[in-house]
Amino acid sequence: MTPIKALRKNRFKTALIFMSMSVSIAAIFLISAISGGVVSMYSAMLKTDGDIIVTQKGIADTFFSDINRSMVDEIAKIEGVREAGALILGAAPVEPLPIVGIYGVSENRFKSYTLIQGSIPNNGEVILGSKIYETLKHPKTINLSKQKFVVSGVFKSRIGFEDGGVVMNLHDGGVLFHKSASIFLISLNDLAKSDSIVKKINALNPDIEAKTTDSFIDSYNQFKIIKTSSDVIGAMAFLMGILGIVSMMSMVVNDRKTEFGIMRSIGLSSIVIIRKLLAETLIIALVAFFFALAVSLGVLDAVEHADKFQGYINGEITVSLAINVFVVSVVMAMLGTLLPAIYAARIDPMTLIQRGGS
Amino acid sequence: MKIQAKNIEQYYGIEHVLRGVDVSIEAGSFTAIIGESGSGKTTLLSILSTLLNPTSGEVTFDGKGIGELGNIDVFRRHNIGFVFQFHYLISYLTLRENIALSALDDATVEPLMESLGIGRLASRYSDEVSGGERQRAAIARALVNHPAVVFADEPTGNLDTKNALGVYELFKRYAQEGTGFVVASHDKKIAEYADTIIEMEDGKIVKISKR
Repeated sequence: MTPIKALRKNRFKTALIFMSMSVSIAAIFLISAISGGVVSMYSAMLKTDGDIIVTQKGIADTFFSDINRSMVDEIAKIEGVREAGALILGAAPVEPLPIVGIYGVSENRFKSYTLIQGSIPNNGEVILGSKIYETLKHPKTINLSKQKFVVSGVFKSRIGFEDGGVVMNLHDGGVLFHKSASIFLISLNDLAKSDSIVKKINALNPDIEAKTTDSFIDSYNQFKIIKTSSDVIGAMAFLMGILGIVSMMSMVVNDRKTEFGIMRSIGLSSIVIIRKLLAETLIIALVAFFFALAVSLGVLDAVEHADKFQGYINGEITVSLAINVFVVSVVMAMLGTLLPAIYAARIDPMTLIQRGGS
Repeated sequence: MKIQAKNIEQYYGIEHVLRGVDVSIEAGSFTAIIGESGSGKTTLLSILSTLLNPTSGEVTFDGKGIGELGNIDVFRRHNIGFVFQFHYLISYLTLRENIALSALDDATVEPLMESLGIGRLASRYSDEVSGGERQRAAIARALVNHPAVVFADEPTGNLDTKNALGVYELFKRYAQEGTGFVVASHDKKIAEYADTIIEMEDGKIVKISKR
């Protein structure tokens, strides 16, 4: 009860600390959720019918990979391979959108797309993800690199990159992007044999590189860059939060020197006073955490449904992310409070009273 | 309890506030420290009550130095009470909560408030009661753990004559029950209640008289 009374008494500074914490926590939530969303969307796309992924050897990004699609038939014959499919990954403007993901896929991969209307595309045709279909206001045709494609159907995908993208057959994709295939996605009968099958695929051609999809995702440079950037920005938000709390709590402690001096003079120990301050900040941190969570969920929902982003920004706040951010919030509150609280606790009670404010 | 101060010196920056003060105070006695403003009464009281560390010199409690008393805040809670000129009640707590803040036994709070005539004000805040009632609450806070000694710095400085006399009478009453009082004041009326009178001038004790 006492911490709440103290917070109400200092309501202006309480509000400032609350805002400082909420902004930091929301920033950590959003940057983590959005970067995690990008990684998980792309990972989910690769993992669809893909236990092993094959790319051009030594390539930094799947978008630059170019491998001979005829090899997919050889790979399909390897014992233990259930199915092998080729995929072309590209991007191009589709008026009025400046950039859209384009996927050229082999016939056997069309089953991965859940059609909600129309049929799978033949040459000169495309199917559109439901998000881009809505954004483009139900087009009959689209232009890609000055070529006209008929929209033969619409599919629904929970993966934002696909739902906001265009899918065509491998032949048309090859013509559009001047390559045979970007990657092969291989599904296996028995995952336990993945290592030996990876070796067999790598032995087929020195210019290709096969990896299990999990190991590919772990080592994929783009994911590492996204994750590192997210960690750095998250850490900056964390530090900004701590600095915000330290500066606000320093002002609070300064304003309340007399109060702490009085408490010390009647025999309450420094530890009791530090605990009181920690209790006050933890209450603010708790409220700020749930406020920031609600705001972040609202922002993510708005961004996900914003036409401008075509569903490509699709952040998700998982339970583990929420728990991690909660721990971060508590640590932030404690560190931000301890420094000024310890400073106040080390001063003689009479000096605190004489120097203090209200 | 016997409190002894030996060769206490105190500086605030270049200001020499206490100059080699030696004093001995017995718990259970009523000691008045009198002197003009700036004579060093408040600083001496703060040092004797462990609220301020002196620049040099030593304060002992029954022969033990401050460093030998364990956690000084805990020692203060059990053994020392302090009443300031300004009541210094915490404004967001009720009178009862202020008094109970450091109470070792919560059950002592209400009887003490009753005995000081502020029982009916338990749920009021400090800005909802009179100056005299605030000071009574501050005295109750100082007495709540039955300390050996209560230090009071100009406790009647903000009170009218009637309330000031009421505070002295309260001190006298509790002193008769065994609590020691050390009261700093420039009001010479305090001398009528004290067993020992310490007179200070320019940071020095100039006279100690017993009654």
